[in-house]
Amino acid sequence: MLGKMDQYIVEMLNITKRFPGVVANDNVTLRIKQGEIFALLGENGAGKSTLMSLLFGLYEPDAGEIIVKGKKVHLSSAKDASKLGIGMVHQHFKLVPDYTIAENIILGDEPKRKLLGLIPYVDIKKANKEIEELSKFYKLEVDPTKLIKDVNVSVQQRVEILKMLYREADILIFDEPTAILTPQEIERLLETMRELRAKGKTIILITHKLEEIKKVADRCAILFQGKLVGVYDVATTSTQKMANLMVGREVVFAQKKEKDNFGEKVLEVKDLSVLNADKFEVVKNVSFSIRGGEIFAIAGVAGNGQVEIADAIAGLIKINKGKVFLKGKDITDYPIRDRLLEGISYIPEDRQKTGVILDFPLYFNLAIKNYFQKPFSEKGVLNQTVIKQFAQKLISKYDIRCGQAEMTLLRSMSGGNQQKAIVAREIEQNSALLIFVQPTRGLDIGAIENIHRRILEEREKGKAILLISLELDEIMKLADTIGVIYNGELLKIAPAKDFTINEVGQFMMGVKGA
Amino acid sequence: MNKDVRQQKIDVRYAIAELLSNEKTSKIATPILSILLTLITTAILLLILGSNPITAILGFLRAGGFIPKPSYASNNNMFTDFLLFLGIMAPMLFASLGFIISHKAGLFNIGISGEMLISGFIATLLVGYSDLGPWLAKPLVLLIGMVVGGIVGAITGFLKYKFNIHEVITSIMFNYIINYVTGFFINSYYTNPFTRSSMPASAASRLTITGLKLNGINISIPLSIFIAIAVAFLVNFLLERTVVGLEIKATGLNQDCARYAGINVSKNIIKAMTLSGVLAGLAGVSYYLGYYNTIVPKKLPDIGYDSIAVSILGNSSPLGAIFASALVTIFQNGSTYVSSSTGIAKEVASLITGLLLLFSACNTYIKYRAGKYVREYLDLKNAAVVKTQAASEGGQNINGFGVH
Amino acid sequence: MDLVFIDGLSFALILLIMAVAAIYSEKSGVVNLAIEGLQGFGAFIGALTAILITHYTNDSSSSWIMYVALLAAMVGGMVYSMLHAVLCVKFQSNQVISGVVINILSVALTGFLTSVINQAITGQASNKFMVGVSPRFDVPYLKDIPVIGALFKSMYPFEIIILVIVFIAWYVLYKTSFGMHLRACGENPHAVDAAGGNVNKTRFIAVMVSGALSGLGGMCVAYSISAQFSPTIYMGYGYLAIAAMIFGNWRIIPTTLACFFFGFARSGGYKLCLVLGLSSNVSELLMMLPYVLTLLLLVFFSKNTHAPAAGGQPFDKGRR
Repeated sequence: MLGKMDQYIVEMLNITKRFPGVVANDNVTLRIKQGEIFALLGENGAGKSTLMSLLFGLYEPDAGEIIVKGKKVHLSSAKDASKLGIGMVHQHFKLVPDYTIAENIILGDEPKRKLLGLIPYVDIKKANKEIEELSKFYKLEVDPTKLIKDVNVSVQQRVEILKMLYREADILIFDEPTAILTPQEIERLLETMRELRAKGKTIILITHKLEEIKKVADRCAILFQGKLVGVYDVATTSTQKMANLMVGREVVFAQKKEKDNFGEKVLEVKDLSVLNADKFEVVKNVSFSIRGGEIFAIAGVAGNGQVEIADAIAGLIKINKGKVFLKGKDITDYPIRDRLLEGISYIPEDRQKTGVILDFPLYFNLAIKNYFQKPFSEKGVLNQTVIKQFAQKLISKYDIRCGQAEMTLLRSMSGGNQQKAIVAREIEQNSALLIFVQPTRGLDIGAIENIHRRILEEREKGKAILLISLELDEIMKLADTIGVIYNGELLKIAPAKDFTINEVGQFMMGVKGA
Repeated sequence: MNKDVRQQKIDVRYAIAELLSNEKTSKIATPILSILLTLITTAILLLILGSNPITAILGFLRAGGFIPKPSYASNNNMFTDFLLFLGIMAPMLFASLGFIISHKAGLFNIGISGEMLISGFIATLLVGYSDLGPWLAKPLVLLIGMVVGGIVGAITGFLKYKFNIHEVITSIMFNYIINYVTGFFINSYYTNPFTRSSMPASAASRLTITGLKLNGINISIPLSIFIAIAVAFLVNFLLERTVVGLEIKATGLNQDCARYAGINVSKNIIKAMTLSGVLAGLAGVSYYLGYYNTIVPKKLPDIGYDSIAVSILGNSSPLGAIFASALVTIFQNGSTYVSSSTGIAKEVASLITGLLLLFSACNTYIKYRAGKYVREYLDLKNAAVVKTQAASEGGQNINGFGVH
Repeated sequence: MDLVFIDGLSFALILLIMAVAAIYSEKSGVVNLAIEGLQGFGAFIGALTAILITHYTNDSSSSWIMYVALLAAMVGGMVYSMLHAVLCVKFQSNQVISGVVINILSVALTGFLTSVINQAITGQASNKFMVGVSPRFDVPYLKDIPVIGALFKSMYPFEIIILVIVFIAWYVLYKTSFGMHLRACGENPHAVDAAGGNVNKTRFIAVMVSGALSGLGGMCVAYSISAQFSPTIYMGYGYLAIAAMIFGNWRIIPTTLACFFFGFARSGGYKLCLVLGLSSNVSELLMMLPYVLTLLLLVFFSKNTHAPAAGGQPFDKGRR
């Protein structure tokens, strides 16, 4: 009920949830007040997503009870949770690209009518109307007849929110909602949350972004390795304290970066144009260059062409127009392997899809860029001893954790160690140009620090580095030069120290300016 | 006392589950399970139909020359049968090696039957009907088999790479087209009016040497089986120890990563399908100019489809295929004998092969479930250990950080 | 010329019901290459039913027996398809392999059982069940329309049944909420799961529908083209149906056009043989026309097709 801030709308008492090999939630007790914005803070693997999945009915707890609106409940499916007024906006949207916004929203709760009283059919007209009204009421404007694949990410997120509101959810769970938004869109989302709170909704925000918690949350629960560290009042707790509690030790926010020591031009990109599968120009007339010892970061919202630039340089995508020069050589028409041999290392965005072969053992994965060269193979026959020795060397040098040393299947390694292996392999190529695309996605703070350290080390060695990241803090921390991309064009390129975070955000939104 | 017995029972289940899911042992354990399940199912089926499964199994072994028959035609004995068995096992082995190579690249060459037929046909035409002597004819037959099969395989791979046509559909279409085309030519120009099949190929061109006698017993020397087993080892070496094999496997496991690493995926697709066709071609010539010396028109050899069962049973391992093809051949080869000596329908052999394929297809699931059981069992064991430890230490650690 | 229309239409509709079967399964996310085996098994059950009824009632008036057989074929196909469903949905096996398994097993199983059953009933191990050809009828008034009137002459009753079923299938798939769920399962099953739907159950049902419709198709083949159930039921029509589905971009109406094209091409080919007075060997050679056409059309049309996005991937809840 509005105004009764002391009433607990959700209570999760002594919750324990185990998965094979790990205790995801260990005797966690949380009480969330009606009408508040409650944040759940923790590293990857701390248990916050699992806890909320329990609340949303995706799993069942091994021990403990859940009380919603004063009644003890047993949630065995998303539908159960939905009936109780609990809704969840997932990190990875669950939308059908070929369906309209309206169809996506009503999926599972379609308004039905019967032709001639007998033959059932879905009443799309009614759905469209209802959704238009709903979107106006909550100031989340959408056009219900547009297809999901034709709208951008922040609109898609609005659709996910509307899905919950259509089902009259009172408790809205947001799982890492800002990962894919520009700073301006993030502000808009936080504003939406305040609006929803004003309309009486309770919001649970799962995040690892401390500033956002500071901006919008009332209270914050911190989880660490499955256990509850404590529940804190946001207004009176500093971000430093929250960070320390989140990782269990003192956190160093700024990494030491050595002075600029730029060398010769290593990479030069001239008037690059790339078409996607639908013949749409996703990279338009892009030109930039990177010197040895320089970290060049491309900032932008996901899907504006930055990954295509990286792919074009590495040869994974065809170049429509323009040229790419590596150490002065024109590699525009080189096949992939030749480019790699010229001196390009590439850490891809999707490590499991592109960076490794999950069903190969570690030693093959580490040798995947060198197996055809001597001494790894001779006259077409592989030299297993050399390959395995190489793997052992990398495992100890880069501290890669693997159950059966070089024989470990990639599939059984953790995300962080898979990434370590990829980074190890790529750095060992000793290439003049290193391309990192979203290198720290999905990793915990310890792993992130590790990767950042490696990137800076390579910078010291005089390598040219192209960094593509969706995390602005990462870019501001590491980059020497920043290029902001919007709609396939690099709107501005300047040294990092000449940028403020807000300016970057504005360019990311396409606001052209000095 | 009861607790120990229960403990023992659980440990046996655990042991089996461990065998099935452990990376090293599951390669042998899961096929054995599939075989056992097939035999049990067939036995039950036969019992319901009023037949004796033991006699059936013994019949198959007798037909293959593994155990002696009660009586033999003149001048034949168990060895005769065994050599004939090897002669029909060879094409089966070649064919399954062909499927295995395509499978390693992530492709399904269902067109092995068609490739067999056309390579057998062309080899018969060019060499089988010529007067070449054995020292020239036999190697030529092998060569033609490889080339013709390879070409069909290459076309299939090319269509996939260039036009994105699923190779299953292409290969099946080729099967039917080849079937009708060769049938037409045989019926129109090369038919033997008495047997309704093609005119026999010359003895010089046959890969099985027949009509010999050893101590008065009829024997045949199936040259093809020696070649086949050698090729099996060759294929194994190729896949496990060479650059080509690594690239084919990488293409099959993760095309995106293979491409990213600089591997030419389309070349490897065509390479794999070509090699697959080459092996199918060898199967074809060892079938039509080896065990047989004639071609029945408009009939695709069953071996082409049975080889799929063999490969999946052997978990796509070239060396495993040797044993798996022996097993499946025992059934296929023995159907006539079993049917005439026990009255069981001769289609029972196809049924057994089909069931083998069915249970083998469940291999990955069985391995996964066994692995899950093992993990849960170990978890419970660990939890029990921790509990007893905590109980003896008294009290628990407090939530919070700093305790590491 | 009339014959081209008549035979072409009946063959086209048989392909169509099998293609719709394939569409249902694939749209839900389960790749289904098993249509060939499903139609064969359905035909087997249907023919078996017909034989048993004829044998035990000594009644050879085939009318109502045929309808019972058609129904039995649908049930048979549906039951046998549960094997594919269990393998693909529950065991999460590779769906291509599962399809191939179903096909091979179907040939083996039906061959074996036909032999055994014939042995039991007639004392002779034959691998055929004779069912005869279905009666035909003309549609009044429509048959007198010039040229296209031929389409309505000499029709098999099952053609009407197929048309009705295809219309219902189309309606369910595009207008009802079940159809909406089904199509979503093939594009993004996680969306359906989050909306509270049961992805695996929907896929299971889709595969069973696929089996029922394939079985019907197979029985229609037995009642029109081959007049019997035997190993020749496995003519590869199931694969042609899948090819038609690919041309039709997994949508029912374009697939219908593709099926009509195949049907008339085949009957046109036969007519050509008769007109040119070619020998029986050559006309047998022309039997390969549908398969060659399939390849050619696939060459030209495969590049732009849009298969269901989630096709071939088992639904894994854990993956977010």
